[in-house]
Amino acid sequence: MIHVPARLRIVATLAALPDGDTLSFTRLQNMIGLTPGNLITHLRKLQDAGYLSTKKTGNGVASRTSVALSNRGRAALDTYTAALRDLLGGL
Amino acid sequence: MNEENDKDETPTVDERGEFDPRAAATLLAQTTRRAQRQFAFPSPLLSLIQAAALLAAYGAIWLSVRDQHPYSGPSGTALVELYGFVGVAAIAVGLDGRRARAGVSGRSSRQGWIRAIPFTAAYLAVYVLMGALRFDGFSTAIVYGIVPAVGPLIVLGAAAAGDAAAREDWQVLGFAIALIAVGAGSAFAGPSGVWGVAGVGLCALLVCSAIAKVWLRRA
Repeated sequence: MIHVPARLRIVATLAALPDGDTLSFTRLQNMIGLTPGNLITHLRKLQDAGYLSTKKTGNGVASRTSVALSNRGRAALDTYTAALRDLLGGL
Repeated sequence: MNEENDKDETPTVDERGEFDPRAAATLLAQTTRRAQRQFAFPSPLLSLIQAAALLAAYGAIWLSVRDQHPYSGPSGTALVELYGFVGVAAIAVGLDGRRARAGVSGRSSRQGWIRAIPFTAAYLAVYVLMGALRFDGFSTAIVYGIVPAVGPLIVLGAAAAGDAAAREDWQVLGFAIALIAVGAGSAFAGPSGVWGVAGVGLCALLVCSAIAKVWLRRA
């Protein structure tokens, strides 16, 4: 799930925030540099896997979507990082 | 996830190709470092701006009192310069905070406001103490020299040390203890010299802090 460049960047970016913080869709998009459609697709896949949660507030032009990494997402990134370290350590 | 109407869901194209583990590790490290830099508050640049502003603020007071025998306190012009430079530093803090926190909300934002309370109380207590010392008949050298120069450094350093220790933030804890040491040590320079020594010490500390942040980021 995380072993895809775009999703790895999304998860790593959200993991840099303190636990319990959320990031707006707009800033995440600015930081990652994906098109809105591509970002939505990746976020949905991560959300379906339980790695992140999204919350929408407001309506119309004032609406704001925020994204947060879940505990499961943090644990998945930790596991992934450890796996990469083991793999590269063995090369 | 439909923040704007023109954001259609499109199939992603980066799932087909090979993603080498070495490339993944590099991407992960780069992304983490970049994100930490963008969320970082205070930034190294802010520390450098604060260093310059506080050196100028303390320097303005030192220039106005260095030839006073006996000590009579800073001039009105020097006080205006002091608060002007402190204002510049405060504006820089606000702008840097907005940059780092743009789009971020949640627990740490709420905790930030709560964590500011002991710092504000400690800072205001210095001025109450000055009033009490004046009321009790202490000399101008103490009330308008030593206490206002070193008091804020010691009390803010102590508040920051407690806050950092609770969060196990060793970098900030080290900075806070050094701030207390600069404040307490510069008091030996006397009511005039304290402004110069504290200003230089504070500036050096903030420059070291900026260098340490950049170095730790690259490590």
